[in-house]
Amino acid sequence: MSFTIDRAMVGSEFDHTEFPPITEEQILAYAAAYGETSPLYTDPVAAARGPHGGLIAPPTFAVSLRGKHFMPREMPRNIGRNGFDAGKDIEIGAPVRPGDVLTASSTVHDIYEKTGRSGTMVFIVFRTTVTNQRGETVSVVDQKMMFR
Amino acid sequence: MPPTLTFETVDVGDELPPLRLTLAGEQVRRYAEAANMPGGRFMSDAEAQAEGLPGQIVPGNLSLALFSRLLTEWDSSVRLKRLSATFRGLVRPDVALTLSAVVTEKHTSDHGNFLECDLVLENADGDRLVTGTATVALA
Repeated sequence: MSFTIDRAMVGSEFDHTEFPPITEEQILAYAAAYGETSPLYTDPVAAARGPHGGLIAPPTFAVSLRGKHFMPREMPRNIGRNGFDAGKDIEIGAPVRPGDVLTASSTVHDIYEKTGRSGTMVFIVFRTTVTNQRGETVSVVDQKMMFR
Repeated sequence: MPPTLTFETVDVGDELPPLRLTLAGEQVRRYAEAANMPGGRFMSDAEAQAEGLPGQIVPGNLSLALFSRLLTEWDSSVRLKRLSATFRGLVRPDVALTLSAVVTEKHTSDHGNFLECDLVLENADGDRLVTGTATVALA
């Protein structure tokens, strides 16, 4: 492994981004891109008659929100090219509707090493908490990146 | 479609109807754009190969979205509460994929009725490229 990671980064916020209001088009484009079929996420007219009274974003929509900084500035500059998405965990909270103003706060949640047959790997877990304009949590996303 | 499932009619061990599909490279690129994932590895074989990969790959986020589709297509009463995935191997376009899920646990709390599910995305050779778990609520 050709880099070192400072564990002091754990717990520190490295990005805080408020996004422009979510649009209906944005939700529909995201849902269409993976072939979503539920009218809750794809059909504003049908969704208006559904349990949420209107279109909402699909459960994994929060992963499409891209903050200003993907990882802390203290990380080695080329680390992103050497890393792989090893896994993701999403807790889904309040539904996201067109017009919502979402804010994402990202922290380094954990750093740990594992040694396997192919050598030592470093795992960094980035946690992004997304809230809406009412302060409700809409998603907590843990992204586990693996670096060799 | 109106809901047909109820908490009482689902049993541990029940298997969900599988989702079978083959992702085209163009669809993978469209997803990467819609999900604001600018990495070249998701855009084309040439850009992926420049990063040392065998060719264009499917973003983990797309596998995650397909798991959510598998669960919510099961029944309109299903509400996804938690979804977790481990990306174990490269998922490539133009490969037949099967996503499946099985109910592993039922539990009830003050917040409602919940099911725990194990999830698998595999190719035609049976390689488990993505595995995961989910918690869903049944209305």
